[in-house]
Amino acid sequence: MSLSTEPRAPGKSPNVSRFRAGFERWNRKLHFYAGLFLLFFTWLFAVSGLILNHPSWTFTEFWNNRKETNYEREITAFGPEVKGDLGQAREIMTQLGIRGEILWTTTRMDPDQFEFQVRRPGHFFFIKADLARKRATVRQAEVNLWGVIRALHTFTGVQMDDPRNSRDWALTSLWAFSMDAVAAGLIFIVLSSLYMWFELPQKRLAGAVVLGFGSLTCGLFCVGLRWLF
Amino acid sequence: MRVRFYRLIRDLHLYFGLFISPFVLVFTVSVFFLVHSWLPRIASETSTTRVASALPLPGDLATLSGRPLIDALKPTLEKAGVRGEVGFVQHMVKEEKLIIPVTIPGRETTVSISIASREATIVTRETGLAAALVTLHKSPGQHGPNIRMNWFYMRAWRWMADATVYLILFITVSGIYLWYVLRAERTVGVILLLAGALSFFGMAYVLIH
Repeated sequence: MSLSTEPRAPGKSPNVSRFRAGFERWNRKLHFYAGLFLLFFTWLFAVSGLILNHPSWTFTEFWNNRKETNYEREITAFGPEVKGDLGQAREIMTQLGIRGEILWTTTRMDPDQFEFQVRRPGHFFFIKADLARKRATVRQAEVNLWGVIRALHTFTGVQMDDPRNSRDWALTSLWAFSMDAVAAGLIFIVLSSLYMWFELPQKRLAGAVVLGFGSLTCGLFCVGLRWLF
Repeated sequence: MRVRFYRLIRDLHLYFGLFISPFVLVFTVSVFFLVHSWLPRIASETSTTRVASALPLPGDLATLSGRPLIDALKPTLEKAGVRGEVGFVQHMVKEEKLIIPVTIPGRETTVSISIASREATIVTRETGLAAALVTLHKSPGQHGPNIRMNWFYMRAWRWMADATVYLILFITVSGIYLWYVLRAERTVGVILLLAGALSFFGMAYVLIH
């Protein structure tokens, strides 16, 4: 954040080039502009990260407090343009009026039985379609705000250990893109803060000690543990 | 008084920010790997296999499960020279076998113990820095709270991850104060704050509804 009232290195400013002065000014401005724009995203990911790290916190319980509804609907036969599991799942979702990210959890053994899940933050749909009988049963679960907050943290549409699942909903891609943007923005905020700190000669030593301590502690977990054990 | 308060907040914002900046980088860089389900292979992944014998096993092995089982297997793993966070232990009763996954950020070890012969085959995979960042980002995580954080260093990581969140909350709030003091930047700042709020709540709304 802006440290505009901090004294700079004596006699330095008049000698710095116009480009450098402009760079310093914009680096400082963009540091807090980015921080302000990303404020709500940062709060969401910070708080949800804390909640995910403490599953024993009972006040954030969401699954046991869910509201479930079950229903069965008739579905019409698929047209010739509907191909593959993804196409069929999308067609069933359109007919049932369900939107969200498809999650493949079971392997299809019987071509007439089709089972899949659809998720979007706060909503879980467990769909079982009997294509021979042209019926679909849906178990729908709605979770509370804590469940929504958790889901927003992890809602990427992909899983590292499951290549079958890929993003198939445009809004999942949009949210994943925003996660990238938030991460890139925070990296910029960190790098710009390092530059601003380095431009404060009287804070360099104390800052270097703090930064060094943080880097050593963090480095212990990233690479040090493998080296030690 | 007001000037002193401003300076104190400014200094705390700076020093807390410097301290957590490496942690913020760990969490933000690993976001790209998690969002795109992709890990850069900076160095080739290596795997080694070795055998350890005459391992001590807990006497009440058949009756144990969950965290008590992990705690009881600690001396066995110590003897086998395997350290780290123990995952979900599979007890294959028919085969008289125990399969124990052990993780250190950037290294995955699988210990397969034959209960009858008390011999273990230990397969160690060095997965690299990117995988280490992903492991740290997801630790301790929401699954298996009863067995997780059974290694001191991973418990320490949880403290650091929590501290990072609390310090981020402090830094954002102090940042708002430091921005608000700058009168010349108020208009642009408010516009950006509102634009960010609109983007965030707008996106959350369309995702949820």
